[in-house]
Amino acid sequence: MTQAPSQSHLSRPLPRRGLERLDLLLLALEALDLNGGEAMVWMCQQLGFADLFPNRVELWKRRCHNPLRRACRRGPISVSETDALIRILCQMADRLYPMLRTLLSNSEAPELLAQRWQLFQDRLAELIRERMNPRRSGVQQLLDPELGAVERRHMVRSLSLAAGEGGFERLRASLLDAAA
Amino acid sequence: MLQSALMKQTLRHDQLSCRLQVDGFPDVSAGQAPGTVGIITGWRLEWMGRPELEGEREHLLALMEVVLPYARHLISGVGRRFGSEDQPVQIEPDSAGGHRLELRSRQAGNPSLVVELDDAELADLVRVLDSLRLDPRLQLQLTVPQPVPLRQRELAERLPLQRRLAAPVAGLAALAAAAAVALIVPPPPPAPAPTAPAAAAAGKP
Repeated sequence: MTQAPSQSHLSRPLPRRGLERLDLLLLALEALDLNGGEAMVWMCQQLGFADLFPNRVELWKRRCHNPLRRACRRGPISVSETDALIRILCQMADRLYPMLRTLLSNSEAPELLAQRWQLFQDRLAELIRERMNPRRSGVQQLLDPELGAVERRHMVRSLSLAAGEGGFERLRASLLDAAA
Repeated sequence: MLQSALMKQTLRHDQLSCRLQVDGFPDVSAGQAPGTVGIITGWRLEWMGRPELEGEREHLLALMEVVLPYARHLISGVGRRFGSEDQPVQIEPDSAGGHRLELRSRQAGNPSLVVELDDAELADLVRVLDSLRLDPRLQLQLTVPQPVPLRQRELAERLPLQRRLAAPVAGLAALAAAAAVALIVPPPPPAPAPTAPAAAAAGKP
């Protein structure tokens, strides 16, 4: 049981920046898990979101509201749909938590850790090149080996702190942040 | 005595680097069922390779009140201190990229305990606290603040002061330079007034 929440933000749709971050975090999970796309569809069924996303195409269409996508979709996306995507992300992050933890731990051997980060960076870059608009500065920054390193670490740390049931509210509140 | 020993419950939540164990009893006066915990008598947080932390209910609540909002802010990329000098728990980012958790004892003479955590250990701590918070056996009103979206001013904190000041300072410098140039460069002389014949010629059709 926790303190009674202020409910005002719960019915607000995600802003552009929030949709962008949500899709990028899902993309990071796909980079961590080679079978991430399939796992996302399976998780969607397991969590009872089959009516919202009856198939992978519908799931993909909601993710395409990310303004950084090559084929970006315009128009509104409902709160129930974004909440479902956030829940899928939190559950997938929970499932991949051991991998996230390994990337973040200082007790790992530095050479091994560097190899793991390199592997993650390569897979993420491949997915970004495939799906995102390379003319956007945000995409270029993510693809940059040095400039993107801070952003990639932030993504992995965010996933580790958002993993599981308890992470849902934290991540949703973060995705609803005001534009900086 | 025997009855209370039988009713004693222990809630245990494990992660790779830490284990949180909470001892207590159901609050029978509030009609809580056996197997639940409504009254916390003590808790222990065991860290791998670190001193064990233990305390009372207030310390556990204080730990949750600072660590969970700290994690929420980190997701937004804002690393700032939570907890003050007069609170039993304080957490802040350290210069090496980790997290500095400080626990203060209320007993005079006891030095405060500082635990340096890396990102993985912080995530483990957040997970055990979440796991306890969401445990249906814990029948206790927790005063953990609900995560809310950050305002623009709070998000600005994630940028270093130099970067935040760069744009206004550059603007002021440009304005000062333009004003200096305007003062140094002499104004152009006034244009000569047109002569009378020329004006008359100009007036002819």
